[in-house]
Amino acid sequence: MGAAAPSPDEIFGQGIQAAGDKDWDKALSLMEQALAADPNNLRYGSEYRQAVVSRAIALHRKEGTPQDFERSLNYFEKLVKDNPNAENAWLNYGFAYVDKIPAAGSITQVILANTALTQFSKSIALKPTWIALYTRGNSYLYWPRIFGRAGLGVADLEKAFAMQKAEPKKSYHVRVYTSLGDGYWKTDNIEKAQAVWNEGLKQFPDNQGLKDRLSKQGDDLGAYIDNALDPNKRVDTNLKELWTSR
Amino acid sequence: MTRSFAVLCAGGFCGLALVAGTAAEPWFEEITHKAGIFAKHSNRVFDNPYAKIMAGYTALGASVAVADFDGDGFDDVYITDSSDDGKNHLYRNNHDLTFTDVGESAGIANGNDSRNASAAALWFDFNNDGRPDLLVVRFGHNQLFENLGGGKFEEVTKKAGLDRYMNAITAIAFDYDHDGYVDLFVGGYFKPVDIFKPDTPNFFPENFETAQNGGGVVLFHNNGDGTFSDVTEKAGLKQSGWTLSLGHGDADNDGWDDLYVACDFGTDHFFRNNHDGTFKDLTESAIGIDTKKGMNVDWGDFDNDGLLDIYVTNITDDYMKEGNFLWHNNGNLTFSDVARETGTYNTGWGWGAKFFDYDNDGWLDLYVMNGWVSAGQESYVPDIFTMITTPGLDLSDARNWPVMGNKSLSGYQKKRLFHNERGQLFKDEAPRFGLDSERDGRGIGIADFDNDGRLDMIVANANAEPQLYHNKVPNGAHWVQFLLEGVKSNRSAVGAQVRIVSDGNKRLSFVNGGNSFAGQSTSRVHFGLGKATTLESVEVRWPSGAIDKYHGLAVDQLYHLKEGSSTKRK
Repeated sequence: MGAAAPSPDEIFGQGIQAAGDKDWDKALSLMEQALAADPNNLRYGSEYRQAVVSRAIALHRKEGTPQDFERSLNYFEKLVKDNPNAENAWLNYGFAYVDKIPAAGSITQVILANTALTQFSKSIALKPTWIALYTRGNSYLYWPRIFGRAGLGVADLEKAFAMQKAEPKKSYHVRVYTSLGDGYWKTDNIEKAQAVWNEGLKQFPDNQGLKDRLSKQGDDLGAYIDNALDPNKRVDTNLKELWTSR
Repeated sequence: MTRSFAVLCAGGFCGLALVAGTAAEPWFEEITHKAGIFAKHSNRVFDNPYAKIMAGYTALGASVAVADFDGDGFDDVYITDSSDDGKNHLYRNNHDLTFTDVGESAGIANGNDSRNASAAALWFDFNNDGRPDLLVVRFGHNQLFENLGGGKFEEVTKKAGLDRYMNAITAIAFDYDHDGYVDLFVGGYFKPVDIFKPDTPNFFPENFETAQNGGGVVLFHNNGDGTFSDVTEKAGLKQSGWTLSLGHGDADNDGWDDLYVACDFGTDHFFRNNHDGTFKDLTESAIGIDTKKGMNVDWGDFDNDGLLDIYVTNITDDYMKEGNFLWHNNGNLTFSDVARETGTYNTGWGWGAKFFDYDNDGWLDLYVMNGWVSAGQESYVPDIFTMITTPGLDLSDARNWPVMGNKSLSGYQKKRLFHNERGQLFKDEAPRFGLDSERDGRGIGIADFDNDGRLDMIVANANAEPQLYHNKVPNGAHWVQFLLEGVKSNRSAVGAQVRIVSDGNKRLSFVNGGNSFAGQSTSRVHFGLGKATTLESVEVRWPSGAIDKYHGLAVDQLYHLKEGSSTKRK
């Protein structure tokens, strides 16, 4: 009698090990196997994408090349095609586009960001989770004001805010306080921005981002938020806080 | 070899009188109208099925080119128009900061018609007769005018072998093979389809970041007999990007000028001169592959480390944050972008930019033109991004591009005058000096029009009047200028490097053949000297390889240095 086939978790663990060893091809192959077996696994998808990002940065200058991200995009494209109801696969698919943004030119960045929003919306249509609403809402805030998307971001973030209020407090909830305030600021509602940042600081008194925002005004605050929402900077799309937070 | 020297007393001025201005005096005075240089530039209005679309992408052609065309010791100015019946202007310097338009009588005013639109101009002495000749760079057929002297020019385009259809937008001239004649390097924007009566709609960029369906570059070798030959492929320079600006400079101090090619919709290129009439593409190792919208190339040693650096403008705005490049020369044929660190990263939608020392403190400053189309209040940005995010569009098809109409795109942007803070930082002084006009700037020419040792600026604006700024900086800083004449080298000495030591400080500059977008500066080499009252040494490295050294030159003078022999008074 042969040995039992390894479980998705075991395959995924081997992938994590290979990524730690910088054996990128092996790592990505193993993680893809794990995802294929459990396509809606948010953690598998997130760690897989982080391995892709790490590989790109390790192999190429700065943020990697656009080609470095083709493998994960192609993989997720097939994954959601095979599993159209896996909301977390759609979410990670969108994040895969976000991961590519810093390696792309400025126009392609817009296309990638727009496509990411499409995938996030499919995830939300399947299941409007806190993480999906926060993600899409925050993504809207990166768009220049002229596109008028900040209001859409505020709408998503307000829904995520309401959801987290109904849940036990988690460390990652501070993100919505921050982003919702940024959204209010971008829609010229500075009083509501300060109110939500203040409320966030009461909940998370050590959060430097909230302290910084509340210590600044006018152009200084604008420059700070613009810098925080600079599309040329890599956005941390690692979702591990979701499963490590207490 | 140590040479003697002579002072060139241009128009009776011997460079001794530094103005002791008062604090209340403006440092720069706009004298455009007083000087008589105020003919408005007009963009070309096309008459074809794509005209409304093209209007948004052809707000080009405002340019300036400076040279002393009549050899009277004062720099003159050629300014282009682009409208169908628009005249180009040759403004002869009257020696009193006024100018007279002699373009018509000189025979070089007719640069525009229904099948040609002026895009830029370049002075270069192609026949080594000591008189600068003129290339009018055009969408259509370029024009080469031979300077006959006596204020007359003759068109010799066909005779020179330069008559071909190009959508040329920029040109420089330098002696890439050191045969003693300046060669011609021309950049094309659109591919060479007749954009006045196109027989295809597919002449727009195929994408925004890696487009290879542009006009590329053409290297014309000067045969020394008044003709030119296309040697682009043989020289290893063939490419098909959307060229906007060209710059030559000696990156590795080997005495041979290398090349930087700035391209819209795709990567810039860096080529090393192989000393044998060919170039090697070192883009990836020298600057990396970029996806930006390169608009300008100017070379200058901004940090006085003895190596020429490069400034390139790109597009930076709320909706697109490419950032300019300030390529610091690492000395090993690689460059590091220090634009962020030096404060020169974000100027807006950048165009021409020039290194020059406006306050004669010994550090090269930067004047940067900005802004694309300043029209109505409504923005064109949403239109263009709707197109960008529409899947499957063939962007090379002009019909897929939205009409701009009266909308603005990166309009009303201010020009920047960056003061060089000892090679570490640049501080924008344009508002302080009233040099932050919001007209849609394109090119800039730098010259000392009144021979007072302070560099003046002439700005070309699209669809607007030019602007002439008289430099009246009252700090009393010293300076020196050199007018070089090659003998074995090309007569106009393009590519000659001048190294000076003053108060122990080393400085490097060179004679450039028209670097930067839509603007050619004086052919004189100018150094600001700050408080230094002596020049310990001057070394000229000629393109021929000869080196001349001079000692004991006085400051605040303009010198005429002739290759390999004692200089002579003009």
